[in-house]
Amino acid sequence: MSRSRGIALFLLAIMIVGVGGCAQPKAEEKKPAAPAEPIKIGVQGPISGQWAFEGEGIARAVNLVAEQVNEKGGVLGRKIQVIQGDDKSDPKESALVAQKMVAEKVIAVVGSYASSLTEPASAIYDEAGIVHITPSSTATKLTTKGYKRFFRTCFLDDRQGLFAAEYFSKKGYKNLAVIHDNTTYAKGLAEWTKKYLEERGVKVVFFDAITPGEKDFTPTLTKVKAANPDAIYFTGYFPEGGLLCKQAKELKIQALFSGGNAVNNPEFVKIAGLDAAKGAIVTTEPLPGDLPYPEAKQFMEDYKKKYGDYPKSIWVILAADAMRLIVTAMEKTGSAEPAKIAEYLHTQVKDFPGISGPIIGFDEKGDRLGTIHKAYVVDDRGEFVPAP
Amino acid sequence: MEQLLQQLVNGITVGSVYALVALGYTMVYGILRLINFAHGEMFMLGSYFALTLIVSTRVGVLQLVPNVLLGLLLVFLFSMGLVSTVGVVVERVAYRPLRRSTRLAPIVSALGASLFIQNAVMLTYGTQYQVFPEGLLPTTVWRVFGVEVTLMRVIVLAISLGLMAALYAFVQKTPLGTAIRATALDHDAARLMGIDVDRIILTVFLIGPALGAAGGIMVGLYYRQINFTMGWTYGLKAFTAAIMGGIGNIPGAMVGGLLLGILETLGAGYISTGWKDAFAFVILIAILILRPTGLLGERVAEKT
Repeated sequence: MSRSRGIALFLLAIMIVGVGGCAQPKAEEKKPAAPAEPIKIGVQGPISGQWAFEGEGIARAVNLVAEQVNEKGGVLGRKIQVIQGDDKSDPKESALVAQKMVAEKVIAVVGSYASSLTEPASAIYDEAGIVHITPSSTATKLTTKGYKRFFRTCFLDDRQGLFAAEYFSKKGYKNLAVIHDNTTYAKGLAEWTKKYLEERGVKVVFFDAITPGEKDFTPTLTKVKAANPDAIYFTGYFPEGGLLCKQAKELKIQALFSGGNAVNNPEFVKIAGLDAAKGAIVTTEPLPGDLPYPEAKQFMEDYKKKYGDYPKSIWVILAADAMRLIVTAMEKTGSAEPAKIAEYLHTQVKDFPGISGPIIGFDEKGDRLGTIHKAYVVDDRGEFVPAP
Repeated sequence: MEQLLQQLVNGITVGSVYALVALGYTMVYGILRLINFAHGEMFMLGSYFALTLIVSTRVGVLQLVPNVLLGLLLVFLFSMGLVSTVGVVVERVAYRPLRRSTRLAPIVSALGASLFIQNAVMLTYGTQYQVFPEGLLPTTVWRVFGVEVTLMRVIVLAISLGLMAALYAFVQKTPLGTAIRATALDHDAARLMGIDVDRIILTVFLIGPALGAAGGIMVGLYYRQINFTMGWTYGLKAFTAAIMGGIGNIPGAMVGGLLLGILETLGAGYISTGWKDAFAFVILIAILILRPTGLLGERVAEKT
């Protein structure tokens, strides 16, 4: 019953998108005649529901950038109007929001937060020919659909693997134990890390999975101990990460304990206990406050001035970068046409001074090049601080 | 060699917890021929009650009770008592009304009770992991013959084996234990001998959940991280252990638990840690093919 209704809604969505897609060029033609008309840019995010915290941050960032641009007189002599859409952390709502955006005739959209929310919307935006940039959805499949106007300012999991491999080889580690938990994300990251480590001549002496949800990993760790690595890299999540770290210490394993960005959670330290967690390393996107760039420091202060608090997550920063890229593309091409903006992003972005770090371009799929990951270490107070 | 010994130590500790939980499955099955799927939740409830007691009375911080060990002992007794109460309530509400119905009905009811308890805990405590306070017990590690043995592992093993020995003595030596064994053999004959079968069932639903809860409390104290789905993970393993040893047979559950712990640890240590569970279950199937009643199970004539 509800499924057939869902299909009906979906078909309706496609129809509306089709109409919107047709209407788009006409709207563009009319614009020069009415220069005062604002340029509409959408921000889609989970402003309510389980990811409300992240959705709100993304919307705030986009609104802040738009406000700053408007204060300076706008872009191409026109103001920017932000259209906000709440997808309620629900993929079904995401398609509805996308339809609303198309009906509003936005030229570009920033969003959504999770891959499951971005995916249904991206199909609709693609049909309508709207530029779509997600700040935070990292699922590989999103950029494998051949959408020409879809981009992301975040990085795929393989970039983290690359960073981790570079970090370990630079620090002189020779033998690594890589442990994952068989989830798509963790296994993918573990395999990328292994590949990049071996390319750099670092030996992977142990590579296997644990079962998430279990509590005793001493059988695995006893085996790891026998392989005698000088570092352990765990790509799964913090609950198992904390237990592994604690039990490694109990087994007197001297190797450095490290984890991927899913271990980057205060609970990790609580579970492992400060004694065991101290000195553990995580590879992750940097916290907004640790970004060294002048653009970042400026943005942090502006954000605090407007909203009363610093942005908490990196996705807020990446959303601001997405919006700034759209504005820059319009300025540089002198046009508010999605096609021109997409072409600019694909071909002309070389070293854009992003808040999250230099944006050195996008590949043909729309994935951001380079990496912004950083290593963090658990300090004596049990807090994650940038590693030296 | 050191690695083998270490893996044995790892396996025995995990296995002793499996054994403790397996006893609850096997005792209920022995008396009612019912697989009590809600038993895993008793294990989980044990650790949640213990956590709540430890945090609210601030054992080890406030020194309300003069001594941490005494405090923990009280936490054990209270949590086990609370979980026993829940066990009896579940029996009253979910199993007793269905005692004269088909064998399938109470199993479905048991699954329902399990889901109910899991969701109740989720709604009360939230979906996130709960963490026991740090430093309640010293994290001493001894090195014995090249094997790292933590104090907590010794405690887990001692408590599990102690409880199992106590249960064994109770079932074998006391009149009430004898009555339990008699009821397991034949309800009607036991009733003719003047045994109050309802009281025996009540006793079983007091003891089983209490043992499960003890396992849950120890897992909480040792691993320090608990969540509302852990009853399922441990319950499945304990149920497997009960079948391996011969379901309905009390020493069988103990042997099955320890064996399962050791087997899966060796599987992880010498084959692949990702295939740990697969290895343990292959052994289970092999045992069931060779001995359909489990290791210590006796051939029981099917009752009508």
